[in-house]
Amino acid sequence: MPSLSYRSASKIAAREMRSSRGKFFFVILSVAIGVAALTGVRGFSNSFRTTLLMRARSIMAGDLSARTNQQPTPAETEGLTDIQAEGVRMTPVTELLSMASAAKTMDPLLISLKAVDPSNYPFYGTVDLEPAGKLAAVLTSDSVVVADDLLVRLKLNVGDQLKIGNKLFRISSIIVNEPDRLSSSFAAGPRVLISRQGLEESGLLAPGSHAGQRYLFKMPPPPNGSPVSDSAVADLKARLIKLLPESQVTDYRETNPALTAGLDQATSLLSLMSLVALVLGAVGVAMAMRAHLQQRLDTIAIMKSLGAGSGQIIKIYLIQTLLLGLAGGILGVLLGIGVQLAFPYLLQSLINVRPDLHLDTRAIIAGLGAGVLTTLLFTLPPLLDIRSIRPILILRRAVDDEELSLPQKLSQFLKKSRSQISAFLLILGGLAFIASRVSDSASVGKWFTVGLVGVLAVLLLASFIVLKTLKFFLSRTRLHLPSVLRHGLANLYRPGNPSSALLAALGMGVMQIMMVFLMQHAVVKQLQISSAPNLPNLFLVDIANSEVEGMRALLTRARGVTAAPELLPVVSSRIVAIDGAAANEIKTKNFPKHMLRSIQLTWAETPPPGAKVEEGKWWSAAQSTAAGEHPLVAVADFQAKRLNLHIGSTITFAAQDKQFDATVAAFTRSDGQHAYSRAEFILPPKSLAGLPTIWYGGVHVAPAHVSELQRELYAKYPTVTVINVAQALETIRGVVIQIIYVVQFLAAFSIFAGIVILASSIAGTRYRRIREVVVLKTIGATRARIAGIFSIEFAVLGLVAGIVGVFFANVVVNGLLRILTVPSQVEWGWSFGGLILTAALTVATGWIASHRILGQKPLEILREE
Amino acid sequence: MPLTQDAVTESVSEVSRQDTIQVRNLRKSIRNGTRTVDILKGIDFNVSHGQFVAIMGSSGSGKSTLLGLLAGLDTPSSGDVILDGQSISYLPEDKLAQVRGRTIGFVFQSYQLIPTLTALENVLLPHELNADSSKSDGLARARTLLTSVGLDDRLDHYPVQLSGGEQQRVALARAFVLRPPIVLADEPTGNLDTVNGAAVLELLLNLNKTEGTTLVLVTHDPVLASYADRVITLRDGLVVSDALNPTPAAL
Repeated sequence: MPSLSYRSASKIAAREMRSSRGKFFFVILSVAIGVAALTGVRGFSNSFRTTLLMRARSIMAGDLSARTNQQPTPAETEGLTDIQAEGVRMTPVTELLSMASAAKTMDPLLISLKAVDPSNYPFYGTVDLEPAGKLAAVLTSDSVVVADDLLVRLKLNVGDQLKIGNKLFRISSIIVNEPDRLSSSFAAGPRVLISRQGLEESGLLAPGSHAGQRYLFKMPPPPNGSPVSDSAVADLKARLIKLLPESQVTDYRETNPALTAGLDQATSLLSLMSLVALVLGAVGVAMAMRAHLQQRLDTIAIMKSLGAGSGQIIKIYLIQTLLLGLAGGILGVLLGIGVQLAFPYLLQSLINVRPDLHLDTRAIIAGLGAGVLTTLLFTLPPLLDIRSIRPILILRRAVDDEELSLPQKLSQFLKKSRSQISAFLLILGGLAFIASRVSDSASVGKWFTVGLVGVLAVLLLASFIVLKTLKFFLSRTRLHLPSVLRHGLANLYRPGNPSSALLAALGMGVMQIMMVFLMQHAVVKQLQISSAPNLPNLFLVDIANSEVEGMRALLTRARGVTAAPELLPVVSSRIVAIDGAAANEIKTKNFPKHMLRSIQLTWAETPPPGAKVEEGKWWSAAQSTAAGEHPLVAVADFQAKRLNLHIGSTITFAAQDKQFDATVAAFTRSDGQHAYSRAEFILPPKSLAGLPTIWYGGVHVAPAHVSELQRELYAKYPTVTVINVAQALETIRGVVIQIIYVVQFLAAFSIFAGIVILASSIAGTRYRRIREVVVLKTIGATRARIAGIFSIEFAVLGLVAGIVGVFFANVVVNGLLRILTVPSQVEWGWSFGGLILTAALTVATGWIASHRILGQKPLEILREE
Repeated sequence: MPLTQDAVTESVSEVSRQDTIQVRNLRKSIRNGTRTVDILKGIDFNVSHGQFVAIMGSSGSGKSTLLGLLAGLDTPSSGDVILDGQSISYLPEDKLAQVRGRTIGFVFQSYQLIPTLTALENVLLPHELNADSSKSDGLARARTLLTSVGLDDRLDHYPVQLSGGEQQRVALARAFVLRPPIVLADEPTGNLDTVNGAAVLELLLNLNKTEGTTLVLVTHDPVLASYADRVITLRDGLVVSDALNPTPAAL
């Protein structure tokens, strides 16, 4: 069988593209904006996430830490050496309580000593010194770096001598903050940083001494320059847990739950935006290609009458589609790169962060591939429709339906729909594939596709019902309506006007845009809470029972305190048994047995600030009253997992000489940002009545007043240790604010791109209107009247699409937020605003698109016929 | 213009092996809303090789529908169209396209050139769509035909750059490029003024003669029909007269 050569087919395809550049510009633009949103959002969020995760790592100063209070066994040492041989870097951090004294006065003071290797520590972040300097330069075997409250208490200055153990050290600098301060154990006494050699020479580290040992680990960077993956960290974590059963291994994500939750939410939101960009781009392409092929009906009919088979014509338009997809894809990738390149400069001036940007060739290829693939997939149905275009079209304008018997009709319908159904399935498969590539997860791809099908089906159905209802209304009221309104509404049912498809596409677009907006709104609101400026930044350790009221009063009236102080009672205890199994027989996961001997209990009547009940139920007033006889306990969920607890488990605690069984009532999750966040076992007050208590406290002080308050506390309560995390909290807050900016920017970008795509889809339908305008004009309709008719048509389209889209956006966002554990509520104001805006934009776009047609003289168009 | 002698003397109703077109009890109904309209109500005729037949009828008589069925652009409700011994009415779409391409040349009232192709490319298109790849003389033939219709200096012009008469001459060249046995023309001069119309008609009849094709021309213009060897008149979907024209008019 003879067939059109690729050269001739390409020639015809290219010629058509050149001859109607204006129309094709819209198609290419739709693809380009979709691809740009995809590569831009994806590429940018990737680089930004890397940068932010780097910040998150600096809170731990490493990728992973293993905490133990035992010296590693020879076998463990060997295992650690093996791990280091693979390129993983490791540095030990030793923390212990010790006495220090000023060399001149010999005044003693309890200090919390932290020994580090200044050539390795910290792996991430920096140690802030005053005067500014590098840790490695000031921390030698003969010197120490101290917190300024030590200088205050011992009346010393930088340069003076401090005796630790049996060695004299020179105070070489003041330490303001070290990156892992939040993850260090809260110990009494001012911080003193010492080198490992210095610690050894001090003679403090006798065998069996009570030193806390932490090993920090840093993963080797992957050779291709991409960031350390979470899975690599998780792998190493699993290995370390196996290797060091007596230590507690944590990764950087666990150090600040609020921050990592914020990052996770932001990341989910960013992948959602990528997917939305993809769908919107695809909708744009599909609408543009359909309108385009509608325009080509005549040419196709001519070619068929000249003996062209459908295959040959499809070949021509397939080539054209490929060219369009490729052109749009290239333009889109360029735009996406432009966004990625331009945005950091903008952002830098706002939040002083510059993500390292590497243009990922894989992301570019993915963007290009997605562009071409979605173009191809979505043009498949109109391309297949080419087969049903009858060449008789060139002889008779309107092709009437043939008279067919029912079985004939049915078989024709099935024949036609079979290919359409397979095209539809192919599109779904393709979308699932792209979605899983975009989100780097097959299950996300699957769910996204399933969700998309569901939503599309519901949208089509809803559009269909709305249109039918409107038609019913129209048929009842027809002649009572003003003619402009009647005509405008009737236009929705114009033969060949795929109103329900357009409505579904528009509704889908509105839904996606609204989803991005609502999600962004909820996540940002949540992030703003976790970056709230009144979280405790000064922690107080070892407040005696008798000091609590005085302390509360002092903290409440002190200058610069912005929120009520949080004071937390602590009862020291140990776990004797769980569910009847003795402590040394309990099966635990990543929970060193020795830690069962130092369990801190606290009491609370209601869930403490920053904590949420994840599972089970908090105790009622009645249960609390009876808690003396029937103790209950709420356990932090991560500890519950490690101890293999379930709701209803019994934990036998021992405090002093009292032993009691408490029933696990609830698992809690804290945000890690309150004094209570350190409380892992909470009981009703009655359960702990009469046991010796000390108190911990947390308060927020404006950074400028921190040292003032520190001095006052020292003067009034010299035995209370004050831990200043203001600096560390500022870092976290800064990161969260950065996340907010990024999320808002990218959401705005996606929304803008979506609006442009939808507008061009609406504009694409204008060619269908030309003939109608001509007829109306020849029978004497004024421009104003025609514009009125169109406005009504577009306004109804916009309103219906808006209602359907906004409604489903709220439904989906509610579900998504629940999964992300972000509190959600229906945003009535925004939803209503979205609805009105959709209608207004639809009408405006309709106007702009029809403007040229309205201005044309009827004859100009009749001549073109 | 004189016509071939044997075509004139041949009996209209006699079915011979030479009959290029055979139409058998052709019916076509279409659905118009809820009503069914019978456009063709059973038509029979044969056209022998080399004959020039005019099909006449007023608007709505069914002549365009008949032309569409003759050309295989549409499928009949019942009956059959046989071209060159092959029944085409119920062929699958792609087979039908092949028949159209190889057996029929088209001339339409509104030219129907592809706007994005030049005159030469338009003429070449049927060749590219239908000819075996072994035949490489398409380009030369297209040039020759365009020269023969007087457009040798307009080869690279696009349809919009050509006048109506010129466009129709390109369409003529396109209709003959594959040497089809049958040429179907639908009001070929309908959009043209008298002078241009006469010129196009003369070219059409000339090509028909030199290429030895069978020509079926649909028109409502009796003047145009007077050039034909035979005139078939339709009314309300039936043949009301079928007469040989012993003395076709000459241009």
